[in-house]
Amino acid sequence: MSVVSLGVRALARREILRYVRMPRSTFLPPLVTNTLFFVVFGVIIGERIRSYGEFSYILFILPGLVVLGVTAQGFQNASFTIFHGRWEDYIEEIQTAPLTYEEMVLAYVVTSALRGLIVGVLIAGVGAIFTLLDPDVATVGLAHPLYVVAFVLVVSVLFSGLGVIGGLWATTFDDLAVMNQFIIRPLVFVGAVFYPLSILDPLWRTVSLVNPMVYMVDGVRYGFLGIAEIDPNTSLVVLTVAAVVTVLVDVWLFRRGYGLTE
Amino acid sequence: MSSQFAISTRDLEKDYGEVKALRGLSLDIGAGQFFGLLGPNGAGKTTFINVLIGLVKKTGGDARVFGFDVEDEYRDVRSRVGVAPQEFNVDRFFPVREVLMHNAGYHGVTKEEAAERADEALRTVGIYEKRDTKFTYLSGGMKRRFVLARALVSEPDLLILDEPTAGVDVELRRALWRIITDLNDDGTTILLTTHYIEEAEQLCDEVAIMDSGRKIAVASPAELTQRGTDTLRIQLSETPREVPDIVGTELEAGSIEAVTTEGREVVVTAKRANAVAPELVRRLDRAGYRATSIDIEPASLEEVFVDLTGGEDESEDDAPESESKRLESPEATT
Repeated sequence: MSVVSLGVRALARREILRYVRMPRSTFLPPLVTNTLFFVVFGVIIGERIRSYGEFSYILFILPGLVVLGVTAQGFQNASFTIFHGRWEDYIEEIQTAPLTYEEMVLAYVVTSALRGLIVGVLIAGVGAIFTLLDPDVATVGLAHPLYVVAFVLVVSVLFSGLGVIGGLWATTFDDLAVMNQFIIRPLVFVGAVFYPLSILDPLWRTVSLVNPMVYMVDGVRYGFLGIAEIDPNTSLVVLTVAAVVTVLVDVWLFRRGYGLTE
Repeated sequence: MSSQFAISTRDLEKDYGEVKALRGLSLDIGAGQFFGLLGPNGAGKTTFINVLIGLVKKTGGDARVFGFDVEDEYRDVRSRVGVAPQEFNVDRFFPVREVLMHNAGYHGVTKEEAAERADEALRTVGIYEKRDTKFTYLSGGMKRRFVLARALVSEPDLLILDEPTAGVDVELRRALWRIITDLNDDGTTILLTTHYIEEAEQLCDEVAIMDSGRKIAVASPAELTQRGTDTLRIQLSETPREVPDIVGTELEAGSIEAVTTEGREVVVTAKRANAVAPELVRRLDRAGYRATSIDIEPASLEEVFVDLTGGEDESEDDAPESESKRLESPEATT
């Protein structure tokens, strides 16, 4: 007998079907955006940028773009599905079902994380194609595959959990856009996706270390390329703790009925 | 845990800031009953339902469904309750059959059985041919039918219907009545809120009248109707020059509320018109009036409702009082 209840599986099925059946608005946009990133930053500009160590620039930015896709999609999915459910009131179907609050959060977080993971794999695939097309560039490899898996899993859960909070907090669609445009995206762009920390002044390097995105990008880069500027184990522990705390906050908010019952 | 009551609340309170939506509501609804909840807008009916199903957190008091606490044992409560809300709250991403399957799944039903239940529920409410249509594209009546189907798909022991026939035509209303009456006959407890007094009168074993978050009365529709005032029309052989003074102290205190005239008719509003009618005719006779016919219009539940809740219907307030002797008490007329 499965440890995952039929109720959770039904909610998870509903959530996955929702985004799988709308690939034009769920999977195609990040695919197109990241293809453009690879074309502009990897090929056109990348050829003029000094390589980072033994790696070409396109390989250097690939882990960061994977993290960008995973975090953005995980956050976006969880925040949208919960906010839209509240907006249209159909989240009441879940609220009035005999699911525990832990089960509700589990279904939302896992399915949103899955969407992030799928997008992450797609981005890595696009990056791999670009490296295959260029004979002067080494193909994407996995120096430490377990680290890639661990970091991507933790990051996707963390941002899906944050998306749950965002979905419960938002009162308008503008709030969703604000969170994405003014919080998530800036963190990503100053999160060492496109540059190594070592090129920054000591002050900005220190400031950058406050940004959790730096640890995610650096950890995933360690998994892909085997290079890291921060101890990946420390990053992984900190991010795992952050993910667990975020999910616990999600459960607490659901139990309290925050954004749901008043 | 089992309970003789499907719903039992004690001193239930709900405040929305300064607004008190429920003020110490204590109510018992027996298992298997067809129970009606009547009240004007803002009476607290929907808040009461939402407390039971977990959409609103109570401020105070106790609320149980089949003996289970609505907050501490919320899963036991929710697994036994199906709700058809007043406002549509349906997942619009999926065709309606899939929405039903998902909902059955949330209640722990396997995918295969969920498909069977979805089909059965859609057939029950008569929209099976629309199974592959999204909710948005259903007509208003079909949407009403669908929310009932969704409430049925978990095969609940308690079915809560919040204004299920609001805005639907007579034919559909009667079709929905048949469906929920059959369910009640099969043992499902029904809690119905409605603005249609006729609906409560025809369907419910017992009704509660609420106003401003309080319970005003609980009784069967027949008992409540008896609390209302009947209208007694006594046709005279000639038009009286003034309203006859026919109310005596020997008549049961408080049973007569008003005496008016309309042409040759003396119109008496009284608690139990059939009990006072013979004496009134005798008094008219002694006063020199000859009664040629008597007609009694029994009180309706709607009139009782209006009396108890202070009257929602503005036409009641606008009714002229000319030629009437409004009686404050029997003594005032003697």
